[in-house]
Amino acid sequence: MQRLDLTGLACPMPIIKLKKFLSQNPALQDPFIVEVSDSGALKDIPAFCQQQKLNCQLRQSQPNIEFQVQRGADV
Amino acid sequence: MSDLSPVHASPQFSLIQSKGTLDWAYASFILASTASVMDKEVELFFTFYGLKCLLKDTSGLKVSPLGRPEMIVKIPVGPEWFRKVDWNQKLPGLVWSLPGMSNLATLGFKQQMKQQGQMPIEALRETCLELGVKMTACQMTVDMMGLQKDDFIDGVEFAGAPSYFAQTPDTQSLFI
Repeated sequence: MQRLDLTGLACPMPIIKLKKFLSQNPALQDPFIVEVSDSGALKDIPAFCQQQKLNCQLRQSQPNIEFQVQRGADV
Repeated sequence: MSDLSPVHASPQFSLIQSKGTLDWAYASFILASTASVMDKEVELFFTFYGLKCLLKDTSGLKVSPLGRPEMIVKIPVGPEWFRKVDWNQKLPGLVWSLPGMSNLATLGFKQQMKQQGQMPIEALRETCLELGVKMTACQMTVDMMGLQKDDFIDGVEFAGAPSYFAQTPDTQSLFI
């Protein structure tokens, strides 16, 4: 699965980079992993995904936070 | 990166920036970039000292604990216990009036932001513009402070408060 490493970035850079990644890959339908280290992202990434109609699942929260994100799925 | 700007102009967010210190510049640009990436149309209006946030020369953007008892001042180097100390509580306010103190506090603040994973303010500001955040400098205060259009970064518009009110939503506005 494709992996987007956003560790070491503070709010709001993770969602800016995530949005950039999505706009650079307009055809991407497969799920991908988003890895973050900013603890605020634990709530912010799901909030962003909900607003952007992306499916988002928390995979792990230790040591880094990992989400599985997918376009177009049911939110 | 203009393809990141909102496609439809529905939800909006606007902010009036009146403060010209580094910490408040961060606050506004962080909110603006976040709102923009979440498809809000963002309008920032800079007035009075807030104009400093838009100057090419950002050396005037500083922080100083002088007269700001709310500020938390930490030194981002040294052992753990040392880094936890809030020097604004520990030291008498008089200390911050000594020469070089605002430069020192600014240096410490920048270091702290860097350790936090934040970009330098110039880069964050540039990101906002790339995301399609609209920035307007208040013409009246530009003139009042003797600033020239040349002093400002590219991408800034010049207009007055009536333009701000004409262009901003009746939903969400902040004053910083």
